[in-house]
Amino acid sequence: MKDIVKLGLTLMVITVLAAAGLAAVYSVTKPRIDAQRQMETERALTVALPQADPESIQAVKDGEEVRYYQLVDDDSQVVAYAFVARGTGYSSVIETMVGVDTSGRVIGMKVLSQTETPGLGTKVEEIRYGETDPWFQRQFIDKPAGDLAVKADGGEIVSITGATISSRALANSVIGGYKKLIKEIQSDSSGLALKSEAQ
Amino acid sequence: MEFKALMIIALGAIFINNFVFSRFLGICPYIGVSRQLDSAVGMGAAVVFVMTLASAVTWLIYEYLLAPSPANIFFRFFALTEPPDLTFLRTIAFILVIASLVQFVEMVIQKVSPSLYSSLGIYLPLITTNCAILGAAILNIDEQYTFIESVVHGLAAGVGFTLALILMAGIRERLELAEIPRSLQGIPIAFIMAGLMAMAFLGFSGLKLGM
Amino acid sequence: MSAWKEFSKGFYKQNPVFKQALGLCPTLAVTSSVENGLGMGLAATFVLICSNVLISLIRKGVPNKIRIPVYIVVIATFVTLVDLAMAGFMPDLHKSLGIFVPLIVVNCIILGRAEAFAGKNNVGLSLLDGLGMGFGFTAALCLLGAIREVMGNGSLMGFPVLSASFEPVLIMILPPGAFLTIGFVLGFFNWLENRKDAKR
Repeated sequence: MKDIVKLGLTLMVITVLAAAGLAAVYSVTKPRIDAQRQMETERALTVALPQADPESIQAVKDGEEVRYYQLVDDDSQVVAYAFVARGTGYSSVIETMVGVDTSGRVIGMKVLSQTETPGLGTKVEEIRYGETDPWFQRQFIDKPAGDLAVKADGGEIVSITGATISSRALANSVIGGYKKLIKEIQSDSSGLALKSEAQ
Repeated sequence: MEFKALMIIALGAIFINNFVFSRFLGICPYIGVSRQLDSAVGMGAAVVFVMTLASAVTWLIYEYLLAPSPANIFFRFFALTEPPDLTFLRTIAFILVIASLVQFVEMVIQKVSPSLYSSLGIYLPLITTNCAILGAAILNIDEQYTFIESVVHGLAAGVGFTLALILMAGIRERLELAEIPRSLQGIPIAFIMAGLMAMAFLGFSGLKLGM
Repeated sequence: MSAWKEFSKGFYKQNPVFKQALGLCPTLAVTSSVENGLGMGLAATFVLICSNVLISLIRKGVPNKIRIPVYIVVIATFVTLVDLAMAGFMPDLHKSLGIFVPLIVVNCIILGRAEAFAGKNNVGLSLLDGLGMGFGFTAALCLLGAIREVMGNGSLMGFPVLSASFEPVLIMILPPGAFLTIGFVLGFFNWLENRKDAKR
């Protein structure tokens, strides 16, 4: 019995030492990790809301959690929104930053994270030689965010060959994210109307 | 609705994202213990059991001890000003929990049912280093599953692993009788068979699960 | 002489992947490109060296009964270290390796070397052992990654190496390709060994 206590204590001391060491490392790396995330979000926002002055993008928060972003013009009128859309693809959850104008049209989008099948689903981010933006996502621009579908489902978006699931997931996630955005905006007391095409 | 969501998680973990064929988790026991059908069934049962239990326990540990949520025990009972973020201890906490859990299950089974112990016992120690268990626990957190979803995911992933193991064992028992080039005998042919089965499982990816 | 032997045995004679069939999960999962293979190999090598050295240093103070849990704690600590460092400094690689970074902790190569070697040998030899095994593991991952990336994507380290008329064999970077590649590579090594034996 005494033996077990002694062994248990030894193990505990070692674990506490390890945890303390890691806590030190974590406190050093955390600011960097946070900064990386912040930078990624900002970069995505500049793609989702093209030609926007980063200063005039506001995050609408609920506590710590960002519900959506809004872009205001000089008269503090909201001219565009951005939101994070999530959809289950083939092998991962695809997260996308999507920008829409007040009439609900997509003005820009950027995939934040996905681990789809290399060579197939990952083509949602593929940039063809000599181009500057991903061809698949470009198809979404100027289309109503509440009404998107791939060709196989009767829409206009050309799927990636061999990756219909990823393509469809992206389209559906934008619709879902947009519907959520409308609800969020409507629930705000400011009550900025958004002409909705997704009802 | 709730039930449908659980079904989607379960079917997804068994067929579409099968731990062996698509996520590459638990390959070592998959190749090592798939020589005979009997041992495959034993190993599979042990994995299903431990994986379900581990999913439940690690989820609780993460939610109530590590995550910076209002439910955090340290936050609630030690008068801290804000919930502590101990998520960096996830790996170390999970592997220790799994190791102790396996030890504990082994002891209980030995006491309660010696006959079950004699059939499952030898597989239990191997499970600690089975990356499928830790993998399931980490996936539960990464996918932000709720408690129930985590348990269902753990259970289904274990069933998917067992399915892969039993299919493979059935084939390998027959391969014993086949004429295989000498260089490919043993592990190489097992991998090639696994590749062919993974191709078959790719077909499941076309399943449309209510999305 | 024996130092060199401890270092070089991991390259081929006791190559963890090809000869001992250890650490197969990450081997299959991350080798869809050379870059991922290299990243995983180096991360695992770092953990392997650190844990080998530390375990060798503390081996006399650790009671025999709890040595495995202690090894696991040591390994998990270094894995978390790599995880945090990678998230901070190489976010893209961290993302593409995903769940397999924390899973280095259950990579049987590392616990295997701790138990079979570092727990019994001095620091210098343990360091060499870790270095050699890590190198062998990394080389194996790069080889598999190269085969799959060239055949499945027509590129190497992200640069196109085959002419545009080559239609990539997509299955090679899909999960089945991983199984097929390692099966045939293992078969090839067996064939080499068999031929050597036959000559003797």
